[in-house]
Amino acid sequence: MRAEPIHQISRKGLTVWRLYGVLQTLLLLVIAALVCYGTYYYEWPSFIYFIAIAVVLLSAFFSAYLFPKIRWERWRYEVREHEIEVQHGLFVVKRTLIPMVRVQHVDTTQGPILKRYSLGNISISTAATVHTIPALVMDEADGLRARISELARVAEDDV
Amino acid sequence: MSNEVYRLHPVSAIISSVKALKSMILPVAIIIISNGFNFSLNFRSEHFFETVLLFGVWGVGAVLALVGGIVKWRTFVYWFEDGELRVKYGLFVKKKRYIPFERIQSLNYHEGIFHRIFGLVKVQVETAGNKGGKPEVELTAIQKIAADVIEEEMRRAKTQIAQPLDVEPAHGQIEEVMVPIIYRMSMRDLLVLATTSGGIGVVLSGVAAVISQFSDIIPYEEVFHEVADFVKVGAFLVALMVMFVLIIAWLLSVVITLVNYHDYTVRIEDEKLMITKGLLEKKRITLPLNRIQAIRIVENPLRQIFGFATVVVESAGGNGEKGGDKKIALFPLIKKQDCLQTLEQLFPEMNWHPEFIKAPKRARPFFYRIDFFWLVPIIGASSYFLYPYGLLAFLLIPLIIFLGIWQHRTAGYMIEGKQLTMQYRVFSRVTMFMEKKRIQSMESSQTYFQKRKQVMSIKATVMSGMTGMTGNVPSLEQQDAETILTWYEH
Repeated sequence: MRAEPIHQISRKGLTVWRLYGVLQTLLLLVIAALVCYGTYYYEWPSFIYFIAIAVVLLSAFFSAYLFPKIRWERWRYEVREHEIEVQHGLFVVKRTLIPMVRVQHVDTTQGPILKRYSLGNISISTAATVHTIPALVMDEADGLRARISELARVAEDDV
Repeated sequence: MSNEVYRLHPVSAIISSVKALKSMILPVAIIIISNGFNFSLNFRSEHFFETVLLFGVWGVGAVLALVGGIVKWRTFVYWFEDGELRVKYGLFVKKKRYIPFERIQSLNYHEGIFHRIFGLVKVQVETAGNKGGKPEVELTAIQKIAADVIEEEMRRAKTQIAQPLDVEPAHGQIEEVMVPIIYRMSMRDLLVLATTSGGIGVVLSGVAAVISQFSDIIPYEEVFHEVADFVKVGAFLVALMVMFVLIIAWLLSVVITLVNYHDYTVRIEDEKLMITKGLLEKKRITLPLNRIQAIRIVENPLRQIFGFATVVVESAGGNGEKGGDKKIALFPLIKKQDCLQTLEQLFPEMNWHPEFIKAPKRARPFFYRIDFFWLVPIIGASSYFLYPYGLLAFLLIPLIIFLGIWQHRTAGYMIEGKQLTMQYRVFSRVTMFMEKKRIQSMESSQTYFQKRKQVMSIKATVMSGMTGMTGNVPSLEQQDAETILTWYEH
């Protein structure tokens, strides 16, 4: 068995993901409310009420509670001298290896919600693929970006 | 070395404006047809305004296209300097693009019918930075001699760098008259290619489309009655008709293949692969050997039975083929034994006779179990809604299981030194040969169920075209998958 990568995503990342889930549920709630109103007004069959309520409840449970939890527990990363290793996934555990010499450039991005929690995403691009480590503490993300670009500079073989 | 500035041939102005006009034809045609040809230049007519608007816009567009073509031709210059190909163009916004020769991934020559009348070629230069599938530099039309100058310059730039090392430059002698031909497609190969390629299906659907185009003209009712009589006359005649249509489709497919792949040859020169093909439109693709990212041998089931294969070369540039797939088929069709020999000559450092470590036996269910997710609803729905005949959907189950078993038997990998070879199948068997230094990233994936059975899937991505090409061996022994990852690490 290969050892898991050591670093976990910041605890605040879980909060942010929960927040995304809540926002998504709220959106669904609005839609469900509209549908329920329509059902009441136009006298559509009443099972529509149950579907609408079920969708909202399921979304609340899965996207605001369960999925962020699993995803957060699963997310691991490690930046070593020669490669970056990332583990992620919900149902399928995926592990990605990106050699330093293949890294073309590194980006950090930060949306409004992430900014509020001073978090940032870091995207590592190779010539063919892009890999993102989400919701890192911004200082850490900046540090990581600097470190990766430092380590990646030794690359000789180009495409 | 003089920094002489070259221009495009004047015909390129016409070619690029024709190209622009061609892209305008379709929308205009749609408008004309949707208007039902109600046009009138009589200003009392209610269609007068539409007509003027449409033809006005179209006319302005045509004039702009013409002017654009001329401007492009007038402003476009290229020259060679410091081992780079340099291009400058643009009227108001001047653009310059410098491409170092050693960064060129592929060089494509293309002679359309238009070009051939004037003895011109279109040259496309591609680098790894190519996004959106467009070549970095496109010289719309230049004289053939001028095209040769580009290659000459490239070679000269290369030897200049190498000169301090080479004590005795072997140049100045008669150069590359003897360019060895590695592969030439025979008539037999062309026929097999035409028959077994998907092209025949395309032609069939094309025939169907043409027939449906005449649906207004063909009196279906009458035809139907006639067909009914026809069927009475005998199923034999119907079969004959079907045969006839199939033969026509096959002949068309053969003709298309013959035209496209006429005189398909692969040569090797200066560590570069050179592919030429085409009867009406001639194409030539030049590809440096050290720019090749990976090689795939693809055998579709039909071809696998007869021992034929397609060899595809993954390169970081596109390949100048419009649309379709952006891969370069090195050998569109070749006997597998021959292709292995040839590849061995081309890349002697690679192992072309891999012995695969296969997926374990207990991994077999993973190859078909996941399919039941979509299979069960389909079978259920079709059995319910199309009752008696819908039950035939149950036949899908053994088919899917059979395919799964086949996929399982194909899946395997081999590591030798710095080479990773993967073999897998969706329908066609793919054998992907790649070097460690060309692999951009690797990924393992494992579902909960796979974890219980200790199996793991593995993916390797190399750069190819815009998005990269991923080889994917599902459900290997977990230990094997981890061996691959560890091999990749150092």
